[in-house]
Amino acid sequence: MDFIYTEEQRMLADSLRRLVDQAWTFPQRRARQAAGVLDRQAWSALAELGVLGLNISQDFGGFGEVPASLLPVHLELGRGLVSEPVIPSAVMGAALLDACGGAARARWLPPVAAGEAIVSVAYQEPGRRYDTDPQDCLATETAGGWRLDGAKHLVWHGAAASVWLVSARGADGRALLLAVPADAAGVRVTDTPTLDGARCARLDFDGAVLPSDALLAQGEEAERALAQALQWGSAALCAHAAGAMERLLEITVDYLKTRKQFGQPLASFQALQHRLAEMLVAKELALSMAYVAVAALTEPDLAQRRRMIASAKLEAARAGRLVAQMAVQLHGGMGMTDELEVGDYFKRLTVVDPLLGDIAEQLAVLEELA
Amino acid sequence: MNLTWTPQERRFQEEVRAFAEAKLPQDIRDKVLRHQRLERDDYVRWHNILADQGWGAPNWPVEHGGTGWNAMQRLIFEVECFKAGAPRLLPFGLSMIGPVLMKYGSPELQARFLPRIPRVEDWWCQGYSEPGSGSDLASLKTRAERDGDGYVVNGQKTWTTLAQYADWMFCLARTDPEARAQRGISMLLLDMRAPGVTVRPIRTLDGGHDVNEVWLENVRVPAANLVGEENQGWTYAKYLLGHERTGIAGLGHCHRELGILKRMAENARSRGRPLLSDSRMRDRISRIEVDIMALEMLLLRVAASNDGAPGPEASVLKIRGSEIQQDLAMLQMEVAGPDAWPYDPDWMFAEAGWHGPGPEMAAAAGAGYADMRKTSIYGGTTEVQKGIIARQVLGL
Repeated sequence: MDFIYTEEQRMLADSLRRLVDQAWTFPQRRARQAAGVLDRQAWSALAELGVLGLNISQDFGGFGEVPASLLPVHLELGRGLVSEPVIPSAVMGAALLDACGGAARARWLPPVAAGEAIVSVAYQEPGRRYDTDPQDCLATETAGGWRLDGAKHLVWHGAAASVWLVSARGADGRALLLAVPADAAGVRVTDTPTLDGARCARLDFDGAVLPSDALLAQGEEAERALAQALQWGSAALCAHAAGAMERLLEITVDYLKTRKQFGQPLASFQALQHRLAEMLVAKELALSMAYVAVAALTEPDLAQRRRMIASAKLEAARAGRLVAQMAVQLHGGMGMTDELEVGDYFKRLTVVDPLLGDIAEQLAVLEELA
Repeated sequence: MNLTWTPQERRFQEEVRAFAEAKLPQDIRDKVLRHQRLERDDYVRWHNILADQGWGAPNWPVEHGGTGWNAMQRLIFEVECFKAGAPRLLPFGLSMIGPVLMKYGSPELQARFLPRIPRVEDWWCQGYSEPGSGSDLASLKTRAERDGDGYVVNGQKTWTTLAQYADWMFCLARTDPEARAQRGISMLLLDMRAPGVTVRPIRTLDGGHDVNEVWLENVRVPAANLVGEENQGWTYAKYLLGHERTGIAGLGHCHRELGILKRMAENARSRGRPLLSDSRMRDRISRIEVDIMALEMLLLRVAASNDGAPGPEASVLKIRGSEIQQDLAMLQMEVAGPDAWPYDPDWMFAEAGWHGPGPEMAAAAGAGYADMRKTSIYGGTTEVQKGIIARQVLGL
């Protein structure tokens, strides 16, 4: 094992930190959140640094970095609370398309790597909690292609996407994946804000008409591709969460050094020092599990890979919740306001659990594999 | 020792339950049980319904127009009202300034203000915390300078709950700048419509607006509005904080939220079955029911001793009550699951008519979880309460 960043990884992390410090300040983030639509300039800046094509093969316009590079990149994005659709498009979408092989890769990966196309995986159905098998979303083969009926929800940055990668059930009951362009007829998009300042969409398909080349994969290949997307997304989210915890701890330490009560800085009270220490312990464990998650992406044993991802995701959610709660507590009343960035970190770390399968869901996976 | 409810207590419980069932307006009940935002009028209506029944001041003695109930009756009343979906009683008049005026206020102040509290003819707010004085309240800086027949008040208050509706503030201000921390503080009754009062909303994590900043610039307060004696305000403030802390166990809130949690878990489906029957969730709900049972018996023990007069034991209730309220909100968020992710503060108003794309309670669950973090901060943080236990109970 070698935990030292390569020269390229270090340089990328450094430039990313500089970019985020300069272009993802608290007021800038809030302004983008209020606008509710993608800031194309910010998105281009991420593309220019190579974030969006990080793991995409050089054959398709990417940088072909090893999966481990997810860690330094998404740690920095998490530190800066970057809410742009990097995980849904450049990580999950790219992983899914890569697993599908065939013409889809050549068609969609180059624009994804360049940031010209945003894709988002639409796999969750209303009323089915964390179930990832397509059930009520039905794809029917027609003379000229495909017809899609049903609904998907909680599509991460769904309204910003130019193409949705939709899981559906075919007439034979098998799963399949379809590329649905955002301008396809027969699709209604309901875009909503999220608790953590991002966006998600519900997609209602009512006889949506798709060409025959919309089919990306079916059967086991489709299931494998979706699993791949969720695993890559989970690994990136674990790193993002660890980065957010790291930065939130720094913010909280700074606050306790300056805020005075009873004639002395809050940081001088041992009870509060111990809380900060507990936050550090949680953050270190979450960071370690983010390494586990990234390592899982190259684990050949599929059961072991699932076990590693589920364990890491569980720990990111647990530690993230704890660190976020303590940060608010230590900020006292100020932590409850919408006026400090501590609240934004709190909310991001809170939604780590319901994104991509909560703790109970990960425990169910571990139970199944036990 | 008799550890069962007496027949009288049972009858009283049924009486309150039947009353709330019959008299609580449906629109208010819906807002409360759906976690929608309450408006000024919702509180005022409920207070007036209680007053019509003669229950407008459940925690006051009969001579001041109260019910004269003992601590056990007050507790039964609180829990039954909460379970029915009633708004909480506004504590600012009934539990805060009311008892202080009864104990320390002049007969004139009592006659002027007390009768107007049960029907919320005056909406009160609490002028305690300041930007630099939270847990360390005694370091407050707002000044009240004597000028002719009154005081001129200058300073800034913060975390002032529902000050946007307030007619009056009971305000702590420094009247002797030379005196050390707790000495030299007075309590004044300040007209929120007087020139120089500015209220600015503080948005909280859930996007809601319950708390405010209040600026006081050369606000004139007549000398007659001084509570008790000059420079004795700290004594009154401490008395008032004690009253604040008994209700803060939030037992009624816990019972109500447990009911909501179970309904949510019954309606949510996980792989075709109600989430309530999922053993992983079932265990956690059982655990929190045990927590609430223990909190309730603890509260009953405190209520039965010394007729519920708050001592340092109140800190135990405050610590545990906040934790359970937070855990309930967390479980509700977990039951809402992925549907707790979409959220817009505008969905929280009944008038909006749309609660977001998910099941009815889902969007409010994440926001409620965020908002409940306040319970271990307000009214003395958990850290402050532990300090009180260490010093005053354990004698360390």
